[in-house]
Amino acid sequence: MSEVHAAPAGPIPTPPDFPVDWADPADQRLFWTQDRMHWPDPVPLLVFDMLPEYGFNHAFDHYDVPMRFRGTRVNTYLYNAMFPVHLPPEEAEAKHKSSQEKMGAAFAGMGELWENEWVPALQRIHDQLDAMDLRGASNAQLLEYVDGAVAHLKRLWELHFVIAVPAYLAVSEFDELYRELFGKEGAYDAYRLVQGLDNLTLKAGRELWQLSRKALAVPSIREVLETRAAAEVIPALETTAEGRAFVAELRAYLDVFGQRGQTFLTLTDVSWIEDPTPAIKSLKDLVGQPDKDFDAERAALAAERDQLLAAARERLKSYPEPVRGQFEFLLKAATIGVVLTEDHNFWIDYAGTYKVRRVFLEAGRRLAAAGAIPQATDFAHLSLDEIKVTLAALPAVIDQKEPVAERKAEMARWAQVQQPPAIGTPPPGPPPADDPFFKFVGKFFGVPPQASADPSELKGAAGSPGKVRAVARVITSLADAARLAKGEILVAETTAPPWTPLFATASAVVTDTGGILSHCAVVAREYGIPAVVGAGRATTTIRDGQLIEVDGDAGTIKLL
Amino acid sequence: MTATDILWLDHPSCRDLARVGGKAANLARLAARMPVPPGFALTTDAFDRAWRGGALPDALPDDVRGQVADAYAELTARLGGEPPSVAVRSSAADEDGGAASFAGQHETYLNIVGADAVADAVLRCWQSAGSERALAYRRSQNLDGDVHLAVLVQALIRADVAAVVFSANPLTGSLDEVVVNASWGLGESIVGGTTTPDTFVVRKADGALLSTTLGEKARMTVSVPGGTEEVDTPRFLRGRPALDAAQAADAAGLARNLEETMGWPVDLECAWSEGTLYLLQCRPITTLRSVNR
Repeated sequence: MSEVHAAPAGPIPTPPDFPVDWADPADQRLFWTQDRMHWPDPVPLLVFDMLPEYGFNHAFDHYDVPMRFRGTRVNTYLYNAMFPVHLPPEEAEAKHKSSQEKMGAAFAGMGELWENEWVPALQRIHDQLDAMDLRGASNAQLLEYVDGAVAHLKRLWELHFVIAVPAYLAVSEFDELYRELFGKEGAYDAYRLVQGLDNLTLKAGRELWQLSRKALAVPSIREVLETRAAAEVIPALETTAEGRAFVAELRAYLDVFGQRGQTFLTLTDVSWIEDPTPAIKSLKDLVGQPDKDFDAERAALAAERDQLLAAARERLKSYPEPVRGQFEFLLKAATIGVVLTEDHNFWIDYAGTYKVRRVFLEAGRRLAAAGAIPQATDFAHLSLDEIKVTLAALPAVIDQKEPVAERKAEMARWAQVQQPPAIGTPPPGPPPADDPFFKFVGKFFGVPPQASADPSELKGAAGSPGKVRAVARVITSLADAARLAKGEILVAETTAPPWTPLFATASAVVTDTGGILSHCAVVAREYGIPAVVGAGRATTTIRDGQLIEVDGDAGTIKLL
Repeated sequence: MTATDILWLDHPSCRDLARVGGKAANLARLAARMPVPPGFALTTDAFDRAWRGGALPDALPDDVRGQVADAYAELTARLGGEPPSVAVRSSAADEDGGAASFAGQHETYLNIVGADAVADAVLRCWQSAGSERALAYRRSQNLDGDVHLAVLVQALIRADVAAVVFSANPLTGSLDEVVVNASWGLGESIVGGTTTPDTFVVRKADGALLSTTLGEKARMTVSVPGGTEEVDTPRFLRGRPALDAAQAADAAGLARNLEETMGWPVDLECAWSEGTLYLLQCRPITTLRSVNR
């Protein structure tokens, strides 16, 4: 017998430099993966303490999906476990049916739900958070605001998954049907039918670009952006009237699109409003670039979309009505879904979470002023209870400086260690191959890349079509992004939406993480630049400055 | 030159079996009472003039070609809009007469668009009837040596679901049951046996659904430019019944009605398009008597 039999399920051995101390030994039986696309680095304690796991589980309940999600923080890295809930067969059957009905209703009404239900709910949360008079609040009132902000954050993350799960599923299911009807060869064919649709991630990049064009038109502003270091730009601009007018415009931009930091950790990231350096670095870079017509580029994508759509409909014209009906049903859901896969980030991951951060930042200011923590932003290294207890005790000071210093040092220490991609016990078999939920999860997070037989080739997944040969720039953080020159290839572990302005600079993108539905892939397709995503070890294999060739159709990278 | 080689299905003259063949004559009899896709027959006269001593010309005679083109133009006008997609089928004078089934013995051309393409399909029907294979079949069935072939040209129904219906149960021989085999798309995948259709058994007396056996329906035939193609049925549709109980009852009612009209148990092909049930073919069940007594 030449069959390979699976070894009896046992825990994955952990690397010697990454010992895992299981608080509950039963947890070792679950399969925990490290989501390097969203949280590639150690996360501060507060992020874990307010982990959005209830959001995922809320959505599972909302749509009757018999799944559970859990998060844990191991050696300061976040690990997630997603596992099925085992039900008796009749109950499982009933749940499956009801889940299909509920998801079908969400697909059918996604546009209306977004307009009439989800955005108004999100707007109310934004408004209530904005209405908090943080500076004027007594400590007691601020404590109430903290509780309010925690409740708002919980609701934001419930909505996050109530919105994101059907949005991604719709795009994924449309892709699946398209491949069944038209063949599996072209990885991007289905996605081309929903391209050229504007979203708020693209708008954030485009409006910064437009600011760069305004700066170019005024010689004194242009000169400041071309010659001054990012940190000096605003003070230098504020010495002239036209400079002050430009700063006012920049601030207006930041008020909307600066409610974000570098990553997905908006709660603890320093935002662009607090420190606009990342936005100014992007502006400095964009000022050096030739003109670009975003509207014409989107119009070209839209024209191609409409043409391909007409061809698909012509081909389906004589298919049975249920096939045409399902195609149109999923197309409509995917058309709004593909926009919501980005727009929910703006409303929730960024603007909403930033508004919650402001409440904690005010608490942090008071704690830092009293000497309880070193700096206002260090609230991130306290647990929610610690923040509340320390705030409630004021003016008496509970000194948290030592635990804060220890926790920061702990994160710095673990940042030097390569975290294993998974811990715990692998599931007994692969996920069900035709389960729509697991399919979308695979397309979003990507699947482990295949090893290449050719040592000069790296394999990843197709992210955005096209082929480019250029110098690779390995960028580890947004703060480091100024090194990326026009026409170079951006190589990164992951690109969160705040990285979008870089897509106007890069000629192609390579990421270690993600699949064809990841933010990186979606945005690269809209910018019309090739992308290979989920390449695993691209950031450690590709040398900074190396000449490489990115083939977004094949999903490969050649090291030249 | 006369234009009488063309007879329209909805005209009483088209019920003349000798001139339009069994298939067209049957449909013409039914067209007055049931939804049959509009169309016309090119009579056996046209074929007989061309069939000289068992040899066919390489092209349709000009007068025949002109009549077919005119008829196709009229069909276009009747339906309105673009030149329609049609099915072109042979209709032999001695087939479908109850004695022998000619199923599969002659070509059928589906999704033919345009006057020239229709004329070519007509010629191919003629040539198929004159082929050695068809003539050998005729000899084996003790049919007379002379072929008299008509050609039926009918608007092609864009079938959402097609069904083959037996007004008696061919498996049990029961005359009280109607058996409906239904699947997605055009009927060719059912007729050709390349897909496993759903099977609905309906009580003939009142249309009550007695049993449903879902088939895999893995393949379906769809129209593509220039013809038809059999493709994989999308998975979401495979497990879904092709008919609901009301549709199964409608198909059974059609079969009962036809059996009464024709006077013998029938095997019919029908299709639903945009909710309307169309009768496509009807012929006697030729295999039943061996089972039923």
